[in-house]
Amino acid sequence: MVAIMGSSGSGKSTLLNILGLLDDFDSGDYELAGTSMAGLNERAAAKYRSRFLGFVFQSFNLIGFKSALENVALPLYYQSVPRKVRNLKAMEYLKKVGLEDWANHLPNQMSGGQKQRVAIARALVGEPKVILADEPTGALDSTTSHEVMDLLRKVNKEGITMIIVTHESDIAALCDRTIHLVDGQIDFR
Amino acid sequence: MFNRDTWLEIGNTVLSHPLRTALTGLSIALGVFILVVMQGLGFGLQNGVKNQFSDDAVNSIWVSSGRTQLAYRGNKPNHNILMLNSDVDAMFQKMDSVEAFSRRVRIWGMSMEYKDKESNFPLRGVDPDHQMLENTVLTKGRFISQRDIDENTKVAVIGTKIIEDLYEENDPIGTYLIIGGVQFMVVGTFDDPASRWENQMAYLPFTTAQKIFRSTDKVDQIILGTGTMPITATQSLTESLLTWFKDRKGVHPDDPRGVWMENNNEEYERYQNIFMGIELFIWGIGLLTLLAGAVGVANILAIAVKERTKEIGVRKALGASSASVVGLVVQESLSLMIVSGSVGLIIGVWLLEVVSPMVDHEYFKNPQVDFRIALVAMGILVVVGVVSGIGPALRAVSIRPVEALRDE
Repeated sequence: MVAIMGSSGSGKSTLLNILGLLDDFDSGDYELAGTSMAGLNERAAAKYRSRFLGFVFQSFNLIGFKSALENVALPLYYQSVPRKVRNLKAMEYLKKVGLEDWANHLPNQMSGGQKQRVAIARALVGEPKVILADEPTGALDSTTSHEVMDLLRKVNKEGITMIIVTHESDIAALCDRTIHLVDGQIDFR
Repeated sequence: MFNRDTWLEIGNTVLSHPLRTALTGLSIALGVFILVVMQGLGFGLQNGVKNQFSDDAVNSIWVSSGRTQLAYRGNKPNHNILMLNSDVDAMFQKMDSVEAFSRRVRIWGMSMEYKDKESNFPLRGVDPDHQMLENTVLTKGRFISQRDIDENTKVAVIGTKIIEDLYEENDPIGTYLIIGGVQFMVVGTFDDPASRWENQMAYLPFTTAQKIFRSTDKVDQIILGTGTMPITATQSLTESLLTWFKDRKGVHPDDPRGVWMENNNEEYERYQNIFMGIELFIWGIGLLTLLAGAVGVANILAIAVKERTKEIGVRKALGASSASVVGLVVQESLSLMIVSGSVGLIIGVWLLEVVSPMVDHEYFKNPQVDFRIALVAMGILVVVGVVSGIGPALRAVSIRPVEALRDE
């Protein structure tokens, strides 16, 4: 469980996007599960994303017209998992984040903390190796923030690498390791 | 690509955006509907006008006589010119050949009786070709024949109005109708849907009618069918005949009255031009409607896709490839447009079907639409819609999720 910290403009979001295969990089190399990710095309990047990576965003980015269950099941749709299996699995992960009773609610019927838990369930459902979280607590109050962090820590204990971008030091303090970025460079102070 | 899952996904997206769906659907449905209805109305107008003029849409020259306007060769103005059998014979000798001709005597009202019923109806004494020259459609029996003319037989061909009034349910063929006190055998019946006036008419052999009801040699009118003769030829024929005839009857060459000829070839051509104008008008409206519909559809789709930029970003972050996202958007709009286009098509055609039997106006008949034209029009709308959806969809997927998902 790694926290990435830095002031705005320090490049932490860029780093996360590169790690998430959502952006290209010009120099250096990035190895994911033993394969170099340099110069990937769209399709391959989409494939690796769905196999290895899960995303959690600050603004949740749930699809507003889909229920919690459908949102969680969406990554499986793109992995061509049959519908029944998809929904069973999505339900299982909703249970895991404690929202099984909210499965058929739309995102705008839920609180910020609940939405973020749905987003975490969605990130987990594809059984990724790495979860990339961009300011996962940025839009939440401190109590909810800690609940979400507890959830992420629990997930991390199950063997999923967690990379969290944050600018809140108390959130970073909950992680095992903190990397500080200054002007696009890692600060080894 | 077209599996159940994809359709569920499409259905889910379409149904969860009722406003967007309704707007897109409405614009397509309305476009197709208006197009179908306009085409139908246009055809109705065209049918009506054609029907209206079908009586006179036979190329022919009509010769009539009346009172003069100018003094000439010792005759004062207002001198009555009579067209006689001898004049008609001379006229035929003058012409090389005639495709069709009919003389006419007209009686505006004559008592007709069958059993205990009696009423007044107009009648005409005519030659056999009159049937073709007036587009008389027989419903039963036969028309006046050459033998009737030669032998002065007492036969009659009567219109539906006479049958309705005098015969009620009885079959008139073979019965004796008393016309002006003389028995005529009914040999044929006809119905002219375009003209109420024609339907109360009784047609008799020219020679018989002239002898019984005129007791002179007077001919009221001559109709010459010109068939396929070119319009300029009919014009010069009219001119030379008129000059000759005026001279024969002692009418001043510049007298507009006395004797006159109507060449309806010119009118015939004018009608043809009117029909063509109407057709052009229908097509113009159709194309403009199509254009307006296409612009509306393109607009709505472009906006819809733009609105979905973020959703597209999320889908990509969750492992969707660009192709699958574009495919989703395109299939979505395609199915939406086909469904709503069909709805517009069906409602439009249904409306025309319902309205069609209720409309019976002189200039408006059988509004209908060529189903193939409607389908092609709908196809064009759909293609325009898809093409205009693809552009924004491609742009939306080319935006990196990073940017699409960035918080504003």
